[in-house]
Amino acid sequence: MALLSLGVAGLVHADSSAAQIELQVRPRVCTLRAHEDACQTTVRAEWRADRNESLCLIIVDRPDVKRCWENYSEGVYSIELTFSEDLIVELRDPQLEQVLASQAVSVIREALQLRRRRHQPWSIWP
Amino acid sequence: MYLIPRQWAAALVLILWSAAAAAQTPCRAPSADCVIVGKWEISLSIGYGERSNPIAANSDIPLHLLPQISYYGKRFFLENLELGFTLHETDAHMFNVIAAPGYDRVFFVRNDLQNIFVSASTVSLNAPPTAVPSFELVREYPIGGRRTTYLVGPEWLFRAGRFVGQLDALREVTGEHDGYEVRAAIATPVVQSKSSLVVSAGLTWKSSALVQYYYGVDGLYEPGAALNPFIKLGFVHPLSERWSFSTSVHHERLADSITDSPIVAEDSVTTFFAGFVLKVL
Repeated sequence: MALLSLGVAGLVHADSSAAQIELQVRPRVCTLRAHEDACQTTVRAEWRADRNESLCLIIVDRPDVKRCWENYSEGVYSIELTFSEDLIVELRDPQLEQVLASQAVSVIREALQLRRRRHQPWSIWP
Repeated sequence: MYLIPRQWAAALVLILWSAAAAAQTPCRAPSADCVIVGKWEISLSIGYGERSNPIAANSDIPLHLLPQISYYGKRFFLENLELGFTLHETDAHMFNVIAAPGYDRVFFVRNDLQNIFVSASTVSLNAPPTAVPSFELVREYPIGGRRTTYLVGPEWLFRAGRFVGQLDALREVTGEHDGYEVRAAIATPVVQSKSSLVVSAGLTWKSSALVQYYYGVDGLYEPGAALNPFIKLGFVHPLSERWSFSTSVHHERLADSITDSPIVAEDSVTTFFAGFVLKVL
């Protein structure tokens, strides 16, 4: 089973209009063992702003994931995901043009030990 | 009896060794050439194929579902029914000690693990003694089952440019016939793009004891050693990360010491298969 590091630190992103939006994503890190291909876990994103905002949460390169809020100052979204590369979670404006905050879930692979495959030109197998 | 002249064999080994000495790319990432130590790989081929059966009155062998399993430890490995231990490995050479099942049993016992497939048919290959007509008299030669055997011995695998070679020298260790078998083959891709087309050629030398166990008839036919050459073409086209299309044809010519047996009706064995391969793990 992949090792998950929860962590507590959140990344604060300030946009140019002075709104302060804090996004926290858990887990922060997923560690894959040598025999594992992908992380399969619940990703929980929690955001908080110092005033009401309309925004959407998306995950880069995962168009199937999108959750929007209209005039809220905080929100929570959880989703079960399977991923093998770093996940980039972003809060964007409703038009999805401007990134308001972002956080990553990093995928770390244990050092793989590799060896030559035994190619067999003599084989009765099709 | 077939013998490979020692001088020829030595010269061939020297040539191949020199060619293989050329630097090969070391393993840096999982690939078709490099496997992850400690990881099981399981795939399943689903399709249609058949292996012709040279034994008189025994039916051809259907191939529909073919599982493939492999596991590589730091030195131990398992490849389907073969297992082995790597004594020495470089980027160009691999020296193993392997244990492999005796191949010829597939013609006598339908449910031999080397014939793994799922079929509605439950016809047995080693049905009761079978009548084989001779030229003048109808005589009956019992074609009973043959026991599962394992052969053990050293193996040399090498890579030389686009060529991959294999040489196994095996002895039967399960107490059935104490025979010997040498398996040698070389393969090279003739098309290597997204798809690959690989041609292989080789030979199998079987000692007289081994040939006698499978193809001899007590008191009537005592064969000598056999040298069977073969050629194989294999094509693979990846369809997605987990699926690929695969087809292959393998043709083996049987030596006279086998085809002269009264229980053998054909002088070659042809195996073909076409289907889809699902990577399970």
